[in-house]
Amino acid sequence: MKSTTHSLPNGALVAALCAMAACAHHPRYPVTEQARPFTALDASATRAAPDVAAGVTADRIARARGEPQNWLTYYGTYDGQRYSTLDQISAANVKSLKLAWQFQAGVIGLIASPATYAFEATPIVVDGVMYVSGWDGYVWALDAATGKVFWRYRHAIPLDVPLCCGNVNRGVAVVAGKVIYATQNGHIVALDARSGTPVWDQVFVDVRAGESATMAPLVVKNMVLVGSSGGEYGVRGHIDAFDVATGRRVWRRYNVPKPGEKGSETWTGNAWQWAGGTAWITGSYDPDLDLVYWGTGNPGPDFDGDARPGDNLYTNSIIAFSPDDGSLKWYYQTTPHDVWDYDGVNENILFDQGGRKLLAHFDRNGYLFVLDRSNGRLVRASKFGNRVTWGDIDPTSGKVTVRLTPSAQGTEICPGPAGAKEWPHASYNQQTGLLYTPVMDVCGTFSTSRQDFREGMPYWGGGAAASKQGNKGYVKAIDPTTGREAWSHEFLHPVVASTLSTAGGLVFVGESTGEFDALDAKSGDLLWSVQTGSGIHSSPITYSVNGKQYIAVASGWGGWMKGFAPELYGETRGSALIVFQLP
Amino acid sequence: MHDGIETRRSYHATRSAHIALLAGVSLSALAACDYVRLLRPSVLRQLNPRVVRLVNEFPQLDNPNEEIIARLPGHGGLSEATVGEDGVMHAAVRVPADQFVWEPALIVAPRGGVLELRFSNEDHRAHAVMLEGNEGEWMLDLPMHSAGVARVRVDQPGVYKFTCPVANHGARGMLGLILVRGDVAAEARLDRPTQRRPGH
Amino acid sequence: MHRSSPPRHPMMLAGLALSMIALSSCDYVRLLRPSVLRQLNPRVVRLVDELPAVDQQNEDIVGRLFPHGGLAHAEVGKDGVMRSRIHIPPNQFLWEPSVIVMPHGGDLELEFQNEDHNFHIAFLPSTGERQVVELPMHHGGRARIHLDQPGLYWFGCPVANHAGRGMLGLVLVKGDVPADARLDRPQQRRPGH
Repeated sequence: MKSTTHSLPNGALVAALCAMAACAHHPRYPVTEQARPFTALDASATRAAPDVAAGVTADRIARARGEPQNWLTYYGTYDGQRYSTLDQISAANVKSLKLAWQFQAGVIGLIASPATYAFEATPIVVDGVMYVSGWDGYVWALDAATGKVFWRYRHAIPLDVPLCCGNVNRGVAVVAGKVIYATQNGHIVALDARSGTPVWDQVFVDVRAGESATMAPLVVKNMVLVGSSGGEYGVRGHIDAFDVATGRRVWRRYNVPKPGEKGSETWTGNAWQWAGGTAWITGSYDPDLDLVYWGTGNPGPDFDGDARPGDNLYTNSIIAFSPDDGSLKWYYQTTPHDVWDYDGVNENILFDQGGRKLLAHFDRNGYLFVLDRSNGRLVRASKFGNRVTWGDIDPTSGKVTVRLTPSAQGTEICPGPAGAKEWPHASYNQQTGLLYTPVMDVCGTFSTSRQDFREGMPYWGGGAAASKQGNKGYVKAIDPTTGREAWSHEFLHPVVASTLSTAGGLVFVGESTGEFDALDAKSGDLLWSVQTGSGIHSSPITYSVNGKQYIAVASGWGGWMKGFAPELYGETRGSALIVFQLP
Repeated sequence: MHDGIETRRSYHATRSAHIALLAGVSLSALAACDYVRLLRPSVLRQLNPRVVRLVNEFPQLDNPNEEIIARLPGHGGLSEATVGEDGVMHAAVRVPADQFVWEPALIVAPRGGVLELRFSNEDHRAHAVMLEGNEGEWMLDLPMHSAGVARVRVDQPGVYKFTCPVANHGARGMLGLILVRGDVAAEARLDRPTQRRPGH
Repeated sequence: MHRSSPPRHPMMLAGLALSMIALSSCDYVRLLRPSVLRQLNPRVVRLVDELPAVDQQNEDIVGRLFPHGGLAHAEVGKDGVMRSRIHIPPNQFLWEPSVIVMPHGGDLELEFQNEDHNFHIAFLPSTGERQVVELPMHHGGRARIHLDQPGLYWFGCPVANHAGRGMLGLVLVKGDVPADARLDRPQQRRPGH
């Protein structure tokens, strides 16, 4: 008895300790179940894509206008014109366009940030196969004539990836049998175009520093070029080049100089370390001049200019550099010392007129810049925004006169923080000689505040709230030789979708409220319109398979709606790719 | 001089007495408080090795851009909503600077009903709140250094989420939960004897 | 039997002492670090106080708090693959542990044991494609996933609303991106410093 009374408490103690130390008994079941890829649950759902991408070369991309059945690169062609010579669908018959097929991307469970994802991608089409990317690391290969899925790839993206502002991806590049894209967490991944399996995978941004990636890469020569995102996190923006065959990094160029480098005299103190100047929109390329043209983003912090005195080169600039080593040939700064978040990232459209090699750039600051693209000299600056109050730019000298800047108590300034034109692209129609640009007429209240930098945290130095009322949108046709407006089509809300112009005399554009429209390229008259079910914040394309022309557009509202159309923040989200054809 | 020292001494004596008194009052307050309630067996039972390991990791995991990029979701602590005379429940939520967290991140509502949340944004950057309520989703903008009020109706026991929809703040730590206690209305319950629930 | 008990006594004591020593180097004692105690601010204390009720299915709320199945560190094998085991206890709607920590990016092999009387599925993040393991009741399953960046990834049970009721777990990947992907600038302060 005695021993029992002694051993019991001891036993209890040991048992308690044992329980605390996780000696709890668990049954062991044999491991009979094995994980399978989500796509492989239905074996018939995944098929190899035809081997069409193997024949795509940089030379073929350089001559892409000669094969209008395909959409070989982000803008269709290296010149950024988003113009197709296909004319089967024309002003005469466009009103009979009907649905060809529809792809529903859908989502399962959580997506990284439900409030901010959007379907922004430009599809690439090669000989009947379409490659398109989405949010959360998705890429799909589809049959361009039927919409049937060949394969799907998904790169795992952490939930806490620092994003500004949307969980989005704008497209892929296709070359040499590979589909190459940048993931939201900053990998550049080359997939086998037949199977969707990775061939190589490189990290090119630092998520710890607040960097991310959203843009479609650009193939130039034997390389693929890609730029960084994260201008709201006090990063140093850069563009990297990787070898298409091996994935080896060829070069990286920073868009903001270090102390001692050329341009560093436009910075003071340590501000260069948080300078911004990201490059989140695909550049264009002139193979004859062998120059790549790219737009650079805002300096950091966005609104507190006192934290970074000087012009802040090469932020908010059009830069021209050599594709071989990334070395700068010339630059043109569209907004020196930007304090309005007017990123200069928008596309650069290359076109020739009167024997001159020109470049057109619709900047967020509300001005259209036409430059001589061989040397970067200004030909003309003209206002295309409706309400532009931040300052004036002299049309011929380009001299900037600042009128309004953010203040501690807040200042109402136009355009708002997303500018007079968001990233969605303008197009240039070779038949009419006109540029067609989406326009947002939105203002905002800009304020400043002093902020210490912490790596990985947003570094705005203030804030900007876009106006919720009185916002409007336009598609404007502008003659680049004079800067004058040929016509303007007004919409109820800001237009944040790219235009596509065709030899059929048409301009296609999506509305923020979901309508997909065809306008007459000569008059701007609305010829056809269909409701897609969700707002359009993407770039339509055209292509043909077996002689039949198609028009494709991604519909899926989201992104930085607070900046460009706050009145539509609560509208229905979606994730469909819709393709139209003639009966 | 001498007087001064005396005064100082008596001042010290009084101060010591005050401190003792304060300490006594604090201790008795403490005895009734949440810290002491931590020692209940039902709470201690939660401290199994895996949870202990989690708590041990908190100093790193719960700091932005430290071990991971974010911090753990829902880790701004918990507070209970108070019920006002009009029956409306009230709670206050802060957004501290540079933390990407709601404080508290968990709000316990004693029952279903109208919950009024007062948000104050002490951060250097704009946030917003997206709340789920009976009438749908609610949005509240919170520019830097501002405050706002949201009223939602949550009428069923369960978990409702609120998040910051700006950039990816929600997934970086700004995911909060409203926990509604209680049962559904008596007339909605099944006509049968009380049944055992999982923990019993 | 009765006679053998006196000599067992010192052995028990020795065992107890050994357990105490083992314990003193263990996680329970590490709880008393100031950095951990600092986390016990009033709001967190209130949370811990509430756990017995809010962390129990159909008690205070309908589901339970996620992800509250504790934390485990994945072990790095000789082959470089990280491994961890996850139980699904009966009647809990819980991954145990529900927070898996990977010291760096790479391959993670997870073995699941479903001790519940319900059918579950582990829906996991992975580069290439999400992975799916079906877990019939009283079955084991295995998955290998690849996560390559520091950050927080979620996994869940997509059956009915199990994820919403508590079966939401996290994989935390520590570490930095590769040196050649980092920005060329001096080391910067991070938010906690």
